[in-house]
Order: sequence, then structure tokens, then C-alpha cells
Amino acid sequence: MLALAFFSWWYGSGWKLVSKKTLQTLDNVLKSFSVSLLIKTLFMPWRRIITYPGSGIAAHLQAIVDNTVSRFIGFLVRIFVLLAALVVVVCLALVGFLQLVIWPLLPIAAMVCLIMGFFQ
Amino acid sequence: MSSTVIDIGSLRARKARLGKRVGKLTALILFMLTIVLLAVGIALIVVDNNHNGYFLLALAIICFMFASWATWDLQLLPIEPGSVNGQLSYDVLARLNKKATNPKAVWQQLNQHWQAYFITNHLYISPQDIELVLDDKPESLQVAMDKAADYAAVNHHAQIELGFVVAGIMASSNALTDLLVRSKHDPKDIDAITAWLSRIIDSSTKKHQNFGGIGRDWAFGFTTFLNHFAANISLSIMNHGANYGWLTTAPDVIAIENALANNSGAVVVVGPPGIGKTSRIYALAQRMIEGKANPKLAYHQVLKLDVSTILSNAKRQGDIENIFNRIMIEAVTAGHVILFLDDAELFLNQGVGSLDAGAILQPVLQNRSAQFIMTLTPQDYQRLRTNHPNLANLLTPIIINELPHEDIMNILEDTTNGMEYRYKCLITYDAIKTAYRLSGRYDTEEAYPGKAIKLLEQSITFGKEHVISSRSVEEAIEKSRGVKVSAATQAEADTLLNLEAKIHERMINQDEAVKAVSAALRRARAGIANPKRPIGSFLFLGPTGVGKTELAKAIAAVYFGSETNIVRLDMSEYQQESDVTRLLDTGSNLNASFLMTIRQQPFSVVLLDEVEKAHPSILNLLLQLLDEGQLTDVAGRSASFKDAVVIATSNAGANAIREQIATGGNLEAFKDTLTEQLIKANTFKPELLNRFDEVVLFRSLNRDELAQVVRLLVKEVNTNLSGQNVSVELSDAAIAKIVDIGTDERFGARPMRRALQRGVEDTIAQKILKGEIGPGSHVLLNDADINL
Repeated sequence: MLALAFFSWWYGSGWKLVSKKTLQTLDNVLKSFSVSLLIKTLFMPWRRIITYPGSGIAAHLQAIVDNTVSRFIGFLVRIFVLLAALVVVVCLALVGFLQLVIWPLLPIAAMVCLIMGFFQ
Repeated sequence: MSSTVIDIGSLRARKARLGKRVGKLTALILFMLTIVLLAVGIALIVVDNNHNGYFLLALAIICFMFASWATWDLQLLPIEPGSVNGQLSYDVLARLNKKATNPKAVWQQLNQHWQAYFITNHLYISPQDIELVLDDKPESLQVAMDKAADYAAVNHHAQIELGFVVAGIMASSNALTDLLVRSKHDPKDIDAITAWLSRIIDSSTKKHQNFGGIGRDWAFGFTTFLNHFAANISLSIMNHGANYGWLTTAPDVIAIENALANNSGAVVVVGPPGIGKTSRIYALAQRMIEGKANPKLAYHQVLKLDVSTILSNAKRQGDIENIFNRIMIEAVTAGHVILFLDDAELFLNQGVGSLDAGAILQPVLQNRSAQFIMTLTPQDYQRLRTNHPNLANLLTPIIINELPHEDIMNILEDTTNGMEYRYKCLITYDAIKTAYRLSGRYDTEEAYPGKAIKLLEQSITFGKEHVISSRSVEEAIEKSRGVKVSAATQAEADTLLNLEAKIHERMINQDEAVKAVSAALRRARAGIANPKRPIGSFLFLGPTGVGKTELAKAIAAVYFGSETNIVRLDMSEYQQESDVTRLLDTGSNLNASFLMTIRQQPFSVVLLDEVEKAHPSILNLLLQLLDEGQLTDVAGRSASFKDAVVIATSNAGANAIREQIATGGNLEAFKDTLTEQLIKANTFKPELLNRFDEVVLFRSLNRDELAQVVRLLVKEVNTNLSGQNVSVELSDAAIAKIVDIGTDERFGARPMRRALQRGVEDTIAQKILKGEIGPGSHVLLNDADINL
């Protein structure tokens, strides 16, 4: 009875749970890397460090250069973090996919291993 | 619902029992073993092509599968809706065996769980006592389980938790209800404690919060300077955790959020002290940091400015303005800062410990370049509107009103969790209810829930063996307010029952007055009196020198602990209408005011001498005092007279009383006639006389009674002389002489004390100074010795 309950869970709710946990992990990674926030603010100045234009063309040009540098630094930091997030997400998605594929095969794999142990 | 009886043989029950046998630790060990077996197995196969490697791999897979099943199925036990059995939690099913067929047996198997302890501990009743009264009839279990299912439904739980089953068993037992009533508990407390437990279960199973991740602050500016002068509430909540529970969704918190999101530069949260203004801002900070707030405010941070740090860093003239300006600039530049000015009057007023920053704030508020939240009491907000109308107009006011009783109790319960953890104690549910009740009665300056929380915290020091009971709360209020709220001790009960005799030890005759006052005090102490009015209110009518004031003093000494527990007002000093302001003065100018004195010593005799001389407006206030048991000062703060005995004295009708006695009339029967006369003469309004619990007539004392007064006064002289070990005694003739000299038609026995001073005390003083008497001397004075 309990053995039947085990297999019914393994191929039912258990399998669903694995896919749910994989999606949850991916969601947590996206949140931990602030992916949506970083995309929204990709070209914003770094930590709002900006130069307000003073009077005269030189001051204006200086402000444009300073602010471009600030935006570029912001872009660099964010793009690196986004790339890191992408790598982690891809890896975890792959692991999750493998987990989903391997999960139903595990009971069979256990039996195969036992048989191979006996007959090797 | 198919069945409500617990099916121990069901698959869910068997899975739960197996899950318990495996245990959480074993499952964890199995997971770790999986990794080890996997590694060793693969190594054996790859390196040595050893067939044992396959066995280890098979074992690793089996370990993993079993550990996964135990962790995610057996020990979580998903709900199967549709029946009580399918809704019972893992904790319940894992603990029950086949004997669980009646309430008593189920109780025995569940009462060691923390949820059961939570309920029994907060009711302060032992599980063993409960077990003794529970019945063992199988049909009673059906009723208990139905009740448990009700608790789950009422508290919005899909699962029937162990605590609900325990509460169901308790609430459905009539014998237990009787036991609770006998031990002065309200059986409905089970429902309240179960709801409280339900909230704790909810918060412990709460999912991980989203605080924005690694890049949260990169879109916003630095706040290095600002951080020096402000506490970052949002980060504190994020790092240390906070759970403001339902307050995060409270309508007024949403109103503050909406005001800020809708481009209001500043919000002022207005409410009396203790109502939870600051808690609401913390709740808002929690919403924002969790990304639950309006998207315009997502990940904004609330920084609470500390006025004392700003002031302590201002060394020279103009430093305050410079610091404040830099703070404003940084807040504007950062873009995600909401500055929180708690008790904002400190930032807006001039004076010691204050910072008059109105002029700096106004342009920032006008430009809406930074966002602010301020908190103010209604009085301070009114002052702001009067003194800085332009600044006040830039603020969006959110008025916080007191919550309903049920919500306040929820907050008190949730606060109790933290207190129990911090002080390592147990706070019983009775203590929480008592704190609510007594703080409501005795703390008129603060609002709920603050005042009840404060009282609970004060009660911690009065706990016995780490248990804070209703008695601890009563002790705390008795010590801080000087009132009596707990049940009378045996000694006190004896005093109360013999109050007339105790008073008569220092008071001659006036039996009717003594009896009336004693009865009022007994009623109050037994809890029968109306708690919304003074303990007793009396109008003493009679000639001068018959003991009206003396009776008030005797009550203060015998019942209120000391003669100093009298708050005395000479009403002849309140004859003008303008005196109303003086009577209702706050006492804030360091002068002791009437209402401030009452706030400090509410457990007193309030003696209103010569009440008939007061201005009618003052007498109208007296109506309110007698009716509602409170007066409100000019600043709007009330003072309670609900623990005071109010005694008004008057000489009005003294001549009529004398004539009545002279003609041998019955004074008691004459009372109604006299009050009629006083009303007709416009001395008192009928509504005032009707407000008093009793109008008591004092009669003049006869010679025998006056002689007794002299003996009492001699006793006082002997008490004063006891330090020198000298005693004095008066012969009957000497007493008669003192009575002759000390009695006056107009002033009654009042000149008696002066006569005794001159006749006895002066004589004794001379003898002591001449060395005629010394320690151990006993002096007998005859009439010839009394020189006046």
C-alpha cells in the first residue's frame, strides 16, 4: 500500500513539485540579480552621479562628457551583472530540465544498477 | 464532508506516521548519504570497473528517492479537500494512534505539541487539569472535530492544525467550560487564543520576501551624509526582519502610500500619542522594501531623521541650517529617499531640544523635490496650522483614528510574541485583557494600543517565575498610579468591614455620614459601584466645626493610606467666571494645578470646601465631574476622578439644622425639607444635588461628644510627646473646662484645638523647659492647671 503510494507520488505530485521548484529557483535568481530593474535602468547614470550644466559652452560640454561617463559606467556594471544572471539562469534551467527528464527514470535506474551489480 | 471522526487507518495517517518515524534529521542524512554513495559508486566503476559500484549507485538512488518522498510528501502531507480527515495536518496525524477515539485520548496524544502548549499556557491552565475533566465518549470527538474544522474555516486555513484540534476539544467540553469559568476565565478566550495562534502559524510559513536584489540601489544616489543623521528603517526591516502583519494593508497605511505616490511631497500623519503613527510608517516601509507598494514607490527607503544627532553636531551658529540643507540636497539627489520626521514638532518649533527647520523645509516642500512623512499629535498639528499656515498647507494630512477593540487586541497579541521572546517570559491572555482594561481606565493621556503595550511592558517586572498574569498588570498599575484594582486582601477586607469603627477612632458621632461614606467605599472595593463615576460623591451640610473636613481627613487616612491623599479646593477662591480657566489649568507652567494633581494621585479624597460659594460655571463643571467621573483641561487632556471620593462641604442651611436640633426634630426626616429650602433659595441647583450619591446633614455636637473630642485631641498630644517619653492626662474637670472654653456657638468645636494648645500644650512645654518633668513622667492636669 505504502509502496504504491510512493510510486503514485513519484510519478504524480513529486514530478510536478520538481518542475515547480525549478521554476521557483529561476524566479528567485532573476529577483536576486534584479534583472527587470537592471533592464529598466540599463542606460541610467551610475548612482545618479550627474553634473549639472553651468553657464558657457565649455561647462555644457563638460557636463555632457561627465554624464556620458556616468551612464557608461552604469551600463557596464549593469550589463555585466545581467550577463552573469543570464549564465546562472541558463545553467539552472539546464539542470532543472535534466532533473525533470531524469526524475521518472530514477526508479528504473536503481533497478538497472542492481541488476548490473549482480551480473557484472 | 463525508466523516468527521479521525480515520487512523487512512493512507494519509499512515504516511504521516511513517514520516514521523523517519524524522527530518534522518531524511537530511539520507540526502547527504546519496552524495557520498554516488561519488564512491562512480569512482569504483570508473577506476576499477568494480561491480560493487553499481550496488552503491543503486543504493544512492534509493536513498535519494526515499529522502525526497519523506521530505516533500510524508512530512508535508498535502491536503485532500472534502473531508476533515483529508484536512488534518501532518502534526495531528503523525501523533495519533488507534486509541484516539475520544476527546480524552486525543488530548493525551496531542498535548505535548507547542501549539497545545501555546493555548494552555496563555490560558494559564495545566494540560493535566484539562485532561481530568475531558470525557471519553467517542461521540464527543465528533463534536470536537467539527469545532476544529470551524476554527480552520474561521481563520482561513485549508489545513486543520494541531492547535485547532486542541482548541476544538477544549471548546466543545462543557466540563472544561465550567472549569474555565470557575477559574475566572472567559471560555471565549479559547477562540481568541486560537486566532492568535493561527496568525503565528501563518507568519512562520510565510514565503521568502523579495527585497529587490543586488541592483536595487544602483538606480539611486548615495546617501552617505544623510545616513549619519538618520536611521534607515527600510534596511533595518530588510536585515533584521519585521512583521507588521495586517498593519501593512491597513487603510490608513494605504492612504499614506497613495498620497506619496500621487505626487504629494509630504504627508503628515496626525493622531494622539500611542495610536501607532510610527508603527504605520514602519509598515509602509515594509511594503515598499518588499516591492508591494505602488510601483512609483517601489524600493524607496524611509530614513528617520534624528534631531538630537543634528543638534549635537551643530557646534557653531548656522551649523544646523548647513546640516539640514545638505540633508535636503542628498535626499533630493538620491531619488529614493522618504524623510521621516517622527514627532515633527521637534523639527518645527523653537526651544530646547528642538530644531526650527520650517524655513528650510518650506521651499523643498513647495518644489516637491523630496518626499516627507511627518507625525504630529492633533494639538501639535493645530499649532502648526496656526503658527506656520503656509507650511501646513503643503502637507497632506492623514488622520489616524483609534481602532476597534478586536483590532487592538490583535495588535496586543502580536506585540506579546515579541515581548515574550525578549523577556523570556509567558504573558497570559488574562494579562493582555487586563492591560487593555486598566490602561483604558487609568491612562487618559495616550491612545490604544500604545498605552496597553506600555502597561504590559511595565508589568514584566511584576511577573512571578517568568509568568506575567493579570495580577502582575494590576500590581503595575497600583504602583504607577497609586490606585487599588486587585481583589482586597484579608487585612483590607477586615478594614473595610470595620470601616465605621476605624473612622470613629478619630471622629466623634456623625454616624449617618460615616455610614454613608463607608458603604460607598465597600461598594467600590467589591466592584459593585459604577466604574464610570467617582467611587462616591457626598455633600456634607452642617455648621462649622462639627467634623465635615475631619471626616474627609479620616477617610483619606483610613482608606486612602494617608491624610496627604486629599486634594483640597477652597471653592470660595473660585467665585468668578474667569476662575474656570484656573480650575482647568494644565499645570504646564510648573504650577501645581487641580487636574494635574488628580492625574498624579487619582486615588484620593477630593474635598471641595464651601462649595456653595463657587461660581455657577464652576458648579456646572462639577456636574460633569460627578456624572462622567472626569474633567478635561484647557489643552484637551482629561483627568479621571473615577478612583476618587468627592466630598463637597457647605455651611448652607446651618442655622436651619441648629434650629431643628434645638427643637428636638429628626435630622434625617428634615433632610428633604432642607434641600427643598436650599433649592428655593437658589443656593444649589436641583441637578447638582441629584448628582451626589448622598446629601448628609451634620449636627452640632453636645457636651459629652465635645468631651470625647477633647480626649481624641489629648491622644494626639500624647503621640507628639511619645518621642520624649512623656505622657499627659486630663481630669474630667479639666476636660469640662476645655469644653467650656473651646466651644463656640458659631464655630462649633473648631476653637477646641486652640484651647487645648493654650491650656495643655503650653503648660506641658513650660514644665519641660523648667525641668519639672522629664523622660518617663506622666502628668495629670486638673482644671486648676489649665491656665487660659
